[in-house]
Amino acid sequence: MHRETRAANYVLASFTIVSLTLLSFPLAGPVRAFEAFAGYVLDPVAYYGAQGVTRFGGIPGRLRDLISADIENHRMEDQVKGFQWIKQEAESLRIENARLRAELGLKAPRSKRDVLWASVMERDPMRWYRDIRVQAGSNSGVTLNSPVLGRLGGHLVVLGRITEVRPKTSVVLLVSDELSSVAAYVACASSGTAAGQPPRGVEGLLQGEGGARLRLNYLSPDAEVRLGDLVYTSPTSTTFPPNILLGEVSRIFPRDPFLTSRSVEVRPALEASRVKEVMILKQSAATAAKLEATARAAMGEGGEEDSEGAEARP
Amino acid sequence: MRRYARLVILVAAAMLAQWWWSSHGMLGGVAPQLLLVLTIIVAARHGAIKAMVIGFFWGLFIDLMSARLVGANALALTLVAYGTGLARRQVDLLGIEPQCAIVFALTPLYFLFWGLLGLLFSGSFLWVGWRSFLFDPFYNCLVAALAFLLWDPWVEGKPR
Repeated sequence: MHRETRAANYVLASFTIVSLTLLSFPLAGPVRAFEAFAGYVLDPVAYYGAQGVTRFGGIPGRLRDLISADIENHRMEDQVKGFQWIKQEAESLRIENARLRAELGLKAPRSKRDVLWASVMERDPMRWYRDIRVQAGSNSGVTLNSPVLGRLGGHLVVLGRITEVRPKTSVVLLVSDELSSVAAYVACASSGTAAGQPPRGVEGLLQGEGGARLRLNYLSPDAEVRLGDLVYTSPTSTTFPPNILLGEVSRIFPRDPFLTSRSVEVRPALEASRVKEVMILKQSAATAAKLEATARAAMGEGGEEDSEGAEARP
Repeated sequence: MRRYARLVILVAAAMLAQWWWSSHGMLGGVAPQLLLVLTIIVAARHGAIKAMVIGFFWGLFIDLMSARLVGANALALTLVAYGTGLARRQVDLLGIEPQCAIVFALTPLYFLFWGLLGLLFSGSFLWVGWRSFLFDPFYNCLVAALAFLLWDPWVEGKPR
């Protein structure tokens, strides 16, 4: 017989005997000891294999995230380049606007304001449509009458104004409060706006009613207002920046022949109960002091209040 | 020395691959019998003795991992290696086609033999299931073809 064949037969016989022994005495002591020993030797394969699978299993996901982040980064860099141009354009427009205002003798617009984001920390169920308390106070630079805006999608929406300031908290008087009023205008669909210009329409005074709806009063009786028309803050507003969304016309009251104006009901663009974070536009100290003095003087003299409700709460 | 190092790496890597494939890489509930395929390839290229030694330890590894009959896979792979070693003298098994063919033929025999060992030593036929029985020969053939292509550059360390 060939030498290699003979050796193969011996090996086969040996392994067969070992295998049959293992098969025949699965519970015998030596077999169990062998099993335990072999398991001890081979266990690391499974253990480190599982560790490796766990460690390397997340690589595709992380790689995908990394690639998408890189793509997004490039896209945002391009956007930033575009924004630089827009910023430059806005700056030149601002300069031109100031020059034209000066030539026409118009009041200069309010200087640039700092922005402060604050979390809503408290809502009183008894005063649901009246005010909310936010987690920012005088320590953060919040002053009385600072406008408070909310975010709806990608747009800013008016929520109210600061009426009480403490070191770490402030109270926001909502536009839906009965004591709140904002100079506003309805961007009538029929008014026809020039391209690139903010919509202009019929001016009025938006007042809260202590409920879910607002009322826009003192509109011209000839105004062509339709349901769904949007309401924005007026450029004549002393507190709020112009052209910030307030809501939309939800009801048109019939004309009263005995009144010289008409009113519409407005649904607020953003319910204050859904807001978790607000944006406070900080005012310069001089402006804040001036506004506060005006409000105090108006109240002290008991005379006419400002067109916009800025009085203290009763 | 280098040759033995390669052999040790092959044995360990094959065990790891078999474990990973059968626990993470199943396709439709079917995993290839990688160690069976490699035992056949070793026997076809290097003869029965080396294949029986490696196959026996790979079989023990499968037995210990599956926690069923200890020794069944070891015996089955030893016999597969022996059979392939005998066939090697009659037929040229170095090509891709004969290797795939012998893998295809031995896979169902391996399953049946394993089942019979179960019947003899534990009183019940160890049936792998129709899906594995029918599809594993094809799956193993594909793995054998892949292993054939990778064997020379990766295991033997020589270009094809």
